[in-house]
Amino acid sequence: MKPSKDAKNIHVVICSGTTCFLMGASELFGIEKTIEGSLASRITVEGSPCMNLCKGGSYGKAPFVRVNDTLISTATLPKVIEEIRRQASL
Amino acid sequence: MHTFIEVDHYQCPKGGHRMEGDVFLSRKNSTENRVISVLSDGLGSGVKAGVLSTLTATMAITCVAGDIPIERTAQIIHQTLPVCSERRIRYATFTIVDIGQNQEVRILEYDNPPYVLIRDGELVEVPKTVARLPSRYGRKTMIFVSSFVAQPGDRIVVFSDGVVQSGIGTQAMPLGWGNAGVRRFLRELVQRDLTISARELAQRVVQKSLWNDALEAKDDITCGVLYFRNPRRTLVLTGPPIAPERDKELASIFSVYKGKKIICGGTTATILSRELGKQIRVCLQNLDPEVPPPSEMDGADLVTEGILTLGKTAELLAGNLQGGIQAFSVKHAAHLLVEHLLNSDIVDFVVGTRINEAHQDPSMPMELEIRRNIVKRIAHLLEERYLKEVHIQFI
Ligand code: FES
Repeated sequence: MKPSKDAKNIHVVICSGTTCFLMGASELFGIEKTIEGSLASRITVEGSPCMNLCKGGSYGKAPFVRVNDTLISTATLPKVIEEIRRQASL
Repeated sequence: MHTFIEVDHYQCPKGGHRMEGDVFLSRKNSTENRVISVLSDGLGSGVKAGVLSTLTATMAITCVAGDIPIERTAQIIHQTLPVCSERRIRYATFTIVDIGQNQEVRILEYDNPPYVLIRDGELVEVPKTVARLPSRYGRKTMIFVSSFVAQPGDRIVVFSDGVVQSGIGTQAMPLGWGNAGVRRFLRELVQRDLTISARELAQRVVQKSLWNDALEAKDDITCGVLYFRNPRRTLVLTGPPIAPERDKELASIFSVYKGKKIICGGTTATILSRELGKQIRVCLQNLDPEVPPPSEMDGADLVTEGILTLGKTAELLAGNLQGGIQAFSVKHAAHLLVEHLLNSDIVDFVVGTRINEAHQDPSMPMELEIRRNIVKRIAHLLEERYLKEVHIQFI
C-alpha cells in the first residue's frame, strides 16, 4: 500500500505505537466499518509503529492519526471522519 | 557443538477430574549441565493421587540431585508417602531420567511402562539391570536401571499407563493401545518428521491416547519427552541503543544473527528499518483491544510493539500454557511471541538502554526501567519454567 496523494484515495495512517494504543488508537481501526459506505471505499487504512510524535508534547496528545498530509492529535472517530469528509469534498 | 536438551510434557487428567494424578517434573542445572526429569503416577486419580505423585516426584528429584543412591531414594520415598485411607497402601510409580556430564543418561524405572529411546528414527533397546528392594506391604519392589550415552538427535519418551491402557474395552483395541502400539506410533511419527519437537511429540501421544479412549480419558494420561537436538536460537531486540551512534551496531547484530529474529518496540523497528532499508507494514487483521498489532519487515520473523506486548507475553508465560497456544483461535502479537519463544532452545535478548529523548514526557517516565524488568521476568520464566537457555545483553 503506497501512500497516495490521488484525490480519489484518502490515506489514513493510524499510529499503533505504545502511547497511542494506550490512549485509544485501537478503536480508531474500526473506521472503515463506522464511516458511510461511499467514503469507506475511498479510504485506505494503515497502521504505523510509534510515529515519534508522542514524546515531548509539541504535536499535541496521543493518539495520532494522519489523513493524507493532515495530522490529527487526540484523535477520535468523529474527528477523523470529519477530516476525511472535509478532504473528500475538496 | 553442544546439543541442547529440550524437555517437555503433555497431560490430560482422567475424565471428570480436574487434577492430574500423574506428575512430570524436571530440573535443569545449566552450570553442571545436568537435567533430571521424573514421571510419577499416584495410586488412583484426582487430588489424592496428585499429592502422592507430586511428593514422589519431588523427593526423587531432590534425592537424585543430591547424589543419594537409588536404593536409598526408593526407601525414602516409601517411608514418606502417606497411606491411602481407602486402600491402606502407599504407592506411586516413578521413572527417573538423570542426564549428567557428557550426555550420560541413567534411567530408573519403578512400575511405569518402559521408556522408549528413539535414535535415527529407530527404537533402540537398552539393556536393563534389576535392583530388588526389600518388599513392603506385600509389594515386591523392583527397579530397572539402565544407562547409555545420548547422541545428538536422541529422544527419550516416558509415559504413564494411561497411555498404554487407553482404548481398553473398545472395539478397535479391546486390550488397549499396549506398549507395542505406542512404540509403533512413536516410530512412525518420528520417521515422518525427523525434527519433531519434544513438545509436539508429547502432545501427539496424549492426543492419540485420548482419541483411543473416545475423548473421555479413563485414567490420567501423561507423556514426557527429552530431545537432544541442535539448539534453535532466537534473537529478541527491544529498545533503542544507548546512543544513536550505536544504531549501526544494533543493525549488524540483527543481520548476522543465525536463527529467528524478533523486534519488540516501535522505535527499535524504525531504527532497523532505516539502517537496513526495509519497509515496516503493520498487520491490521485480528486486532486485539489489549495488545497492539504486529508488523512485518523483510528479514524479521516477527515485529511487535514493545512494553504492552512484552508485558502480556510475561503474563501468558506465567499462566497455564499446556500444549502451547494453539488453543487461542485468534492470535495477537503476544501469542505469536510466546510461540516463537517456546519453540526455541536458546533466546538472546538485546535490550537497548536509551532514555527517552524527551524524558519530560510524564506519560512514560520509567520506560527503560519497565522494559528491563519485563525482560528479566520473561527470562526468568523461560529459564525456570520452560528450561530454556537465556542470555541478556544491554546495548
Ligand atoms: S505511539 Fe503514536 S506517536 Fe508515539
